[in-house]
Amino acid sequence: MKKKNRLPIASLVILGLIVLGCLMADMISVKDPSYLDLANYTKAPSKEFIFGTDTLGRDIFSCIWHGGRVSILIGLFATLISTFIAVVYGSVSGMASDFIDTIMMRITEIILSIPSLLIIIFLQAILGASNILSISIVIGVTSWCSIAKLVRTEVRQLRKSEYIIASKSMGGGFFFILFHHLLPNFMSSVMFMIVMNIRSAIVTESTLSFIGLGLPLEIISWGSMLSNAEKALMTNAWWIILIPGVFLVAVLLCVSDLGNWLRGRLNPTDKKV
Amino acid sequence: MQDIIAGVRNLTHEFQLNKKLKIRAIDGLSLDIRRGEILGVVGESGSGKSTLARCMMNIYRPTEGEVFFKNIKCSDRAEYKKHAFELQTKRQIIFQDSASSLNPRMRVIDIIAEPFRINHIVPIRGSIENEARFQLKYTGLDEELLYKYPGELSGGQRQRVAIARALAMEPELLVADEPISAVDVSIQAQLVNLFKHLRNEHGFSIMFIAHDLAMVEFLCDRVAIMYRGRLVELAETKELFANPLHPYTKLLLSCIPIPDPRAERERKHPDFDETEFDTSGCLTEISEGHLLLCGGEKSNNKKGSLAIG
Amino acid sequence: MSKKIWYYLRKTAIFIAGVFILTLVVFFISRLAPIDPLQSYYGERVEKMSVEEKNIARDRLGLNEPVFTQYFKWLDNAFHGDFGISYKYKQDALELIGERIGNTLILGGIGFIIIFLGSLGLGLWCARRENSLFDRIVCKLGTILSCVPEFWLALVLILVFCVMLRILPSSGAYSVTAANESGLAALGDRIAHLILPLTVVVLEHLWYYAYIVRNKCLEEIRADYVLLGRAIGLTKRRVVYRHCLRNLMPSYLSIMAIAVPHILGGTYIVETVFSYPGIGSLAYESARFADYNMLMLLCVLTGIVVIFFNMLAQILNEHIDPRIRAEQTVSGRRTADFRQEPK
Repeated sequence: MKKKNRLPIASLVILGLIVLGCLMADMISVKDPSYLDLANYTKAPSKEFIFGTDTLGRDIFSCIWHGGRVSILIGLFATLISTFIAVVYGSVSGMASDFIDTIMMRITEIILSIPSLLIIIFLQAILGASNILSISIVIGVTSWCSIAKLVRTEVRQLRKSEYIIASKSMGGGFFFILFHHLLPNFMSSVMFMIVMNIRSAIVTESTLSFIGLGLPLEIISWGSMLSNAEKALMTNAWWIILIPGVFLVAVLLCVSDLGNWLRGRLNPTDKKV
Repeated sequence: MQDIIAGVRNLTHEFQLNKKLKIRAIDGLSLDIRRGEILGVVGESGSGKSTLARCMMNIYRPTEGEVFFKNIKCSDRAEYKKHAFELQTKRQIIFQDSASSLNPRMRVIDIIAEPFRINHIVPIRGSIENEARFQLKYTGLDEELLYKYPGELSGGQRQRVAIARALAMEPELLVADEPISAVDVSIQAQLVNLFKHLRNEHGFSIMFIAHDLAMVEFLCDRVAIMYRGRLVELAETKELFANPLHPYTKLLLSCIPIPDPRAERERKHPDFDETEFDTSGCLTEISEGHLLLCGGEKSNNKKGSLAIG
Repeated sequence: MSKKIWYYLRKTAIFIAGVFILTLVVFFISRLAPIDPLQSYYGERVEKMSVEEKNIARDRLGLNEPVFTQYFKWLDNAFHGDFGISYKYKQDALELIGERIGNTLILGGIGFIIIFLGSLGLGLWCARRENSLFDRIVCKLGTILSCVPEFWLALVLILVFCVMLRILPSSGAYSVTAANESGLAALGDRIAHLILPLTVVVLEHLWYYAYIVRNKCLEEIRADYVLLGRAIGLTKRRVVYRHCLRNLMPSYLSIMAIAVPHILGGTYIVETVFSYPGIGSLAYESARFADYNMLMLLCVLTGIVVIFFNMLAQILNEHIDPRIRAEQTVSGRRTADFRQEPK
């Protein structure tokens, strides 16, 4: 095991390539991803369809790039939402008096105690037909608790530092202190949690879309591409299942590698895989 | 009679450690700071000096008693809010450890500009950059430091930046909580000279907390000795050093090293740990402007009152 | 002694408060839902119903009352063991759960035992051979597998073992024909159906916990007492299994207590993919068909399990490390200051 915490170049390159591919989806994919080519359904990979077609006759190669866009976007957007909630909630709790802090932390414990997937399923069921925005919000508002707890711990330590006391005595308000003093100081230790949150948001989205509670089939994402896997299983069409999954796992691996690197940088004595 | 800028009356501050344990950091203390003077506050660790400073700055809420600044009773919440702007700009604090009193992720220019940003004040010298540049020069620093982070500065430079930040608001009262204990001796002298300059040339009132008596003798106009959260003696510096009355003051003064090795070696050092001093009684004016905490028979005088010299 | 009773009483009170708030939140969210509960009750027919008919139906289901009244009624009934009916199955909700909970318990329980023992063994094994090929392979494999979403792993396993190799059943808990078979064959059938779901549950979690055990054990190995043990002639293996393990066990137990909800959550997804008739697939169905009453009960039940195990972990932790308890009473810097006081 090397003690040195090296920048995960391989992961960054792979991640970069996939993201780049998704950004340029329109240029890369020759076919319309939503076009249902009923003459060519469930075709194995060939020259015309590099990754084959799915049970509805859509070109998987095009779907991968367009779907990746959606999956990664949801991952980022959901994380943005949860980070925002977590930072505000955690900082308020951290700066508040002991009594309010205890109450706020009890609340997060209760929220954490409800299995997040169940809540998400619940919210999804209530919101009805979902789109990219709604699913991001649902994932975002259900996954902020653990970041908030970390933020709160950091703030509790920071708030005793004299520069914050000085800022307060100069009349600095909560948001001034949050943005000028707290945020820059705890960001580095919270960063890896945020990156890991992207990972879990992507997993949640794909799981939901797969079991049919997330995005509908028409909105292509890596999860919704897998949602008609049952038909694919019957016809032994391995490419429909394997290819989107491989991309999904590759992105998740790279993201978590990045997260681990961030964590390792934070605490150099901590040994990592 | 001199003009009084700030002070505390019967101030008591307690730390509630848990349900059973309370620690009384300051115990019924009264003190005044005159306009344009440097008041030294001396005492051993844990005698409540820093707590006093923080109460003065409204960082801690006093358990009892009041804190005032000019005519504002700032221990009162409503009054504090009413005069928040003045209180927050006209009083400034400097901490002991400059490493923790400056945000390590802010550049020097942003640190100095912070009070302007908080209070939305347009600097007198035009832009924030000019202002910061001026303050740096004023505290004897190089302009090059403007875009550096505190981590890149030396301890003395950092403390100067902290002073520059405090001075940027042109405060009337500066509370310096052991500003020189954490820097090298050579820099201590420079900082002390800076404080002296501030008082002489610009008429700042400074509450200077220290435990280095030699510095206090050099710098301060009056000295207050604190022991276990109480004020035991207060007098003009010359008077106090020439004629210490309280046994604790005597003890403290006897600990100043004498700059003569032979005399120093022959001197008898009192046993510090075993001594317990009587903290009962009340402050009495022994002579003009010299206050002493006396126990026993003299304690029937006006309790907690403080004659203003 | 009374202090201990007081301690557990307090914990129980917090537990009950937690469950109470949970029911409150879940109930209100479900009543705020824009989808008409009648739809799940009557299905397609609801569109053909007139306004009066709908109103009568609502009255019958108690949906016209204010939300608070509904909630207290629900709570009152719940105390008497009546959790209402599932709108979709039109059957007592608790009964329905009772039918299925056994399957989930079998899957989750066996999975938990395997993970518990497996990660302990694997972790210790790796710790003893730190940096060996085996250790590195396990760690790398663990990192990769922890990034594979459960549902996709399940899909791939189905693809390989059910579709390509055709050696294992892909869905359900038992074959339709199993009912007529003798005990042993039925048991075999049951096991065959369990293999794949169980593999997914175990593979997803095993590595993570094994990795924790490994790191904790490595910390222990670097302690001085291990050196002493080695110096007086004990084998490394003996030191690890006799001494490190004992020091490791309390914290491992508390981690595993937290693991229970995670494994439970994983089971839910696995059940859905394999159409395994447990609580997870029930939750999925009720979510799909807007069967809120059912879904709510499931949320509450799962929440109770989770709160319970979190609390268990907390209690275990406090027993291991009295500092945690101390910090709750005296927090932050004041503790530090206090400790500096010479007393």
